[in-house]
Amino acid sequence: MIEVEHLGKMYGTTAAIADLSFRVETGEIVGFLGPNGAGKTTTMRILSAYLPATTGTVRIAGHDVHQDSMAVRQCIGYLPENPPLYRNMTVEGFLHFVARIKGINGGDRPAKVSSVLERCQLTDKKKIHIHKLSKGYRQRVGIAQAIVHDPPAIILDEPTVGLDPAQLIEVRELIKSLAGDRTILLSTHLLSEVSMTCNRVVMINQGHLVATDTPDNLMAQMSGNAGYAIEIEGNPAEIKPLLEVVPGVINVDIEKKSGDRPFATLIVTIAPNHEPGRDLASIIVSTGAGLYEMRRIRPSLEDVFLKLMQAEAELSPDPEASTVIAPSSTETP
Amino acid sequence: MILLSNILAIFRRELESYFYSPLSFIFATLFWFLSGILFITLLIGPQGIVTVVAIEEQRGVPLPPIDVASEFLKIFLGVVGALALFLLPLLSMGLYAEERKQGTLELLATSPITNWSVAVGKLLGVVTFFSVLLIPIVLWEIIVFSSADPAFPISIFLLSHVGLILLAAAILSLGMFVSSLTESSLIAAVMTFSLVLMLWLVDLIGDRLSGSLGDAIKHLSLLKHYNNFLEGVFDSSSLVLLLSYIFLGVILTSQSIEFLRFARR
Repeated sequence: MIEVEHLGKMYGTTAAIADLSFRVETGEIVGFLGPNGAGKTTTMRILSAYLPATTGTVRIAGHDVHQDSMAVRQCIGYLPENPPLYRNMTVEGFLHFVARIKGINGGDRPAKVSSVLERCQLTDKKKIHIHKLSKGYRQRVGIAQAIVHDPPAIILDEPTVGLDPAQLIEVRELIKSLAGDRTILLSTHLLSEVSMTCNRVVMINQGHLVATDTPDNLMAQMSGNAGYAIEIEGNPAEIKPLLEVVPGVINVDIEKKSGDRPFATLIVTIAPNHEPGRDLASIIVSTGAGLYEMRRIRPSLEDVFLKLMQAEAELSPDPEASTVIAPSSTETP
Repeated sequence: MILLSNILAIFRRELESYFYSPLSFIFATLFWFLSGILFITLLIGPQGIVTVVAIEEQRGVPLPPIDVASEFLKIFLGVVGALALFLLPLLSMGLYAEERKQGTLELLATSPITNWSVAVGKLLGVVTFFSVLLIPIVLWEIIVFSSADPAFPISIFLLSHVGLILLAAAILSLGMFVSSLTESSLIAAVMTFSLVLMLWLVDLIGDRLSGSLGDAIKHLSLLKHYNNFLEGVFDSSSLVLLLSYIFLGVILTSQSIEFLRFARR
């Protein structure tokens, strides 16, 4: 549905995107991921025929974005980072206007508008002026304007930025409900977003592709970090050597806890395809120590992200690379 | 067909927006207030045309035969034209600057609609708004002229007002272009005002320059061509010039929006 080939965009002499290629198949929800300034918004603006590319081609539903821009505009719905809303209009009036300029003819318009109002749960707000709506509702109106003409491809630039947790869940549900025969590309720098909504991740940094895979596969690549966190009451130094000899255990770290009672947490790193949980538990119990909590540690998408970005920075001779990565580590919750 | 419905969609939104914008109410109030004062003063004020004629007649001074009604209309619409010069930049300033500021230009630019149909729709909207504001003024004129003797020729009446609307459309069209260059409404208003003032006063420059260059420059003057309409003279070159300004504004606007795509970072 969306085919990006060797896309490049120069701003003066700086390359915002360089040789970026990826595909989004029909019906997929793809998360477009990267630190701030990675080129996500630029890429999405090119996809939506807002900006011209410097090099490379983009085809959406078979139409070239540059050659056949009007046909592309017809078959995409685009939500920019700042929802493009006429603040003085009512929700309904605005959606009617958007339907009109998207070329929906007069007879179909009321039905399309009312179905999108329904879908985005805006029916009871339809007479309200947009400037009176809360941010979460405005975001929904933004999504509504992107889908009112029922486009096969939907491009959402940071659809959940700045929402409170409740609104976040609502908008996320809304996005998920749009899936099906539609293709969705959404950009975000929230990794929790991706693992919850997307089938696939396209990760970019400094304008080029870093990785593209399903969230699960990406996490599986990181299975070296998997293991257990075990909270015990007892002497961890005695238990540590016993655990280290269990097959599959790579490493055991001790985290002392402050407090009156001798609590400690053991962080056990295990090799891929080993599940020594049962042995670990029985050894600890047999030493007479108290076993208070045993928790599986899985690599998060954050780890994958940071690791990939770090690998990038090491490969890249550009001294700015490290500064580009720095903000992302503080943003990821 | 689709083009027309696109233009119509932009036109309707533009018109609707005047109902919700405080600026349009302020503009209407200001315009009616100032033109109302001018109307009264020019008609029956101490220096007003009716007063002057009455005094001269009382003194028994033989007057050259003048048509008071058409003379008044010429003076009044001349002043309204000047008023439009000052006020119209306020109407045109937000046409694109506001869209750029609100980010809605991104919606228009990613919709299957051409830049120039957006520009045409917007211009039609704002010209319609201004024309609606002229209705009360036309009503005052009709009331006054209904007692004119000999009867006031309708053709001059129509021609003068068409001239005024064309003048307004030319100013608004150029103002729309200026508005598409900036995100700040204020800058757009000031720049439009300077540009239009220049086109208004270009006569003076033309007078200083002799020869064909001077004539050519004088021909660009808005004032000269507007006055042709007020004289009741239908001069096709005046019509063409004002229409050219309108088209120029529309074309420049759609080019500047296109250029924005390449320049933006």
